Amino acid sequence: MTNVSISCRDLSLRFPVYGVDAKSLKKHLAKIAVGGKLGSHHGSTEVTAISGLNLELKAGDRLGLIGHNGSGKTTLLRALSGAYEPDEGSIEVNGHIAALLDLSLGIDPTATGFDNIRLRGRIAGLTAKQVDERLDEIAEFSGLGPFLAMPVKTYSAGMQARLAFAAATAVEADVLLMDEWIAVGDADFQKLAHRRLLKLVERAGILVLASHDVELLRLYCNKVMRMEGGVASPVTDIKKLDELMAA
Amino acid sequence: MDTATHMLRTGRRGTLFEAQMALRDLRTSVERIDLARSLAWHDVVSRYRGSILGPLWITLSMGLMILGIGVLWGGLFRVPVHEFVPLVAVGIVFFGFVTTTINEGCDTFVQAAGMLSQTALPMFTFVWRTVLRNLINLGHHVVIVGAVLVWAGLWAGANYPAAALGFIFLVINVAWISMLVAIISARFRDIPQAVASVTQAAAIMTPVYWPPDRIPEKYRWILDFNPFYHLLQAVRAPLIGKAVEPHSYLVLALMALIGWGLVFSLFANTRRRIVHYL
Ligand SMILES: Nc1ncnc2c1ncn2[C@@H]1O[C@H](COP(=O)(O)OP(=O)(O)OP(=O)(O)O)[C@@H](O)[C@H]1O
Ligand SMILES: [Mg+2]
Repeated sequence: MTNVSISCRDLSLRFPVYGVDAKSLKKHLAKIAVGGKLGSHHGSTEVTAISGLNLELKAGDRLGLIGHNGSGKTTLLRALSGAYEPDEGSIEVNGHIAALLDLSLGIDPTATGFDNIRLRGRIAGLTAKQVDERLDEIAEFSGLGPFLAMPVKTYSAGMQARLAFAAATAVEADVLLMDEWIAVGDADFQKLAHRRLLKLVERAGILVLASHDVELLRLYCNKVMRMEGGVASPVTDIKKLDELMAA
Repeated sequence: MDTATHMLRTGRRGTLFEAQMALRDLRTSVERIDLARSLAWHDVVSRYRGSILGPLWITLSMGLMILGIGVLWGGLFRVPVHEFVPLVAVGIVFFGFVTTTINEGCDTFVQAAGMLSQTALPMFTFVWRTVLRNLINLGHHVVIVGAVLVWAGLWAGANYPAAALGFIFLVINVAWISMLVAIISARFRDIPQAVASVTQAAAIMTPVYWPPDRIPEKYRWILDFNPFYHLLQAVRAPLIGKAVEPHSYLVLALMALIGWGLVFSLFANTRRRIVHYL
């Protein structure tokens, strides 16, 4: 587990913006008819979400990501999860990655709670056997009891959140990616959720947590990086968080 | 859990590199075919949760349709019922697989948007999910084929190895078409309607509901130039005691080669972008 690492070199990531209209083939064909560039994506707007980012993390690093809305935090987490490909530069991750970015991942409202737990576990990379072994523990943690045999669409919002949280956090990860501290549910459940997340964080070699909550970052992180318009500050010690915020 | 996982992602490094990455996506999806299977089963089970008959509902409605068309149109075409019903039964069941796998292909990536944007799962996994889900449903409908073949007395005379070979050709070809429409539909949202019209037209142009030998010699080319005709015949003919024309295999093999070549290069070129289309 000591060889867990993250390494980004000159990472740039751009979003092509496909206008709502351009999504229609009709318009695309019309463009060809009047002599536009065939199949060319150039000239279309692109949003640069990350530019020239360098980042080296090793086992034991707990990195907090701060930055204004739209500064590229979520995009970086998605890139680290392997979902977004870099446009330039490289991302290298050693270790099993768990991305807790969007809790509703893979939640199918028409399926039962149990089916959703299985599905979520399989997506996270567990084998069918591993999922079955953890099923009882997840079910118990969710506290949903008999509701687990009912379709998720019959749940209240908080119950859905409990299920999603219980299923999503039933993984083991060397690299844990989190968009906001995701403890959810009512007061009682939140306490449990905090404890469970902490355990997950302790076991993980590396944590990358994006949050707007400075106190939270101080609590769980030992390093911090600030994003601004897709450009990242150098990684600094969490003690210098105030200076970073002021800069 | 294996800690030996390693992920390396880089910017574009030329065509060859993109092809290698696409190939790696394919390889990983095959290594983790179990996941695609779980997703497919999940789809089938959750879609029919709470219903008594499950996918057999569709089997049932197919059965009724076959009975109706078989008896009524058999009279219309003046073909004996024992000959016509098997033709239509095998046709509807297998052509149904072709059309639904292609039509549902349009949703393959669109439906998986959430997963694709926060995991490193191979994209091919979702293509297999669509194909496997339809294979599972076909597994239910095949009951009709069995029953009809027994009833018509064609059961013993059927050439099962040839039918199996034809079925392999069918699946290989339907899979690339399904993936093709998956990629294009992710980018252009009006494609699913277009695909639906094409498959609907194909169902009429292809002798699914009518006997192929009824077409006048001078219009034979309509069949020969219809890829769906060859797809269907390769499976159906051996089951109802007819021979597959050798050139059908040639057409299917060429179609598979060219089709997969085309789709693979399209995938290699769009792989990075698909998640942004969604
Ligand atoms: N799917 C997308 N398509 C196009 N542009 C996108 C997409 N996702 C994000 N962006 C753009 O990328 C930039 C970075 O967005 P990102 O979601 O990473 O910000 P963030 O730092 O997570 O913001 P927040 O604090 O609001 O969560 C923004 O300018 C946003 O408009
Ligand atoms: Mg965000």
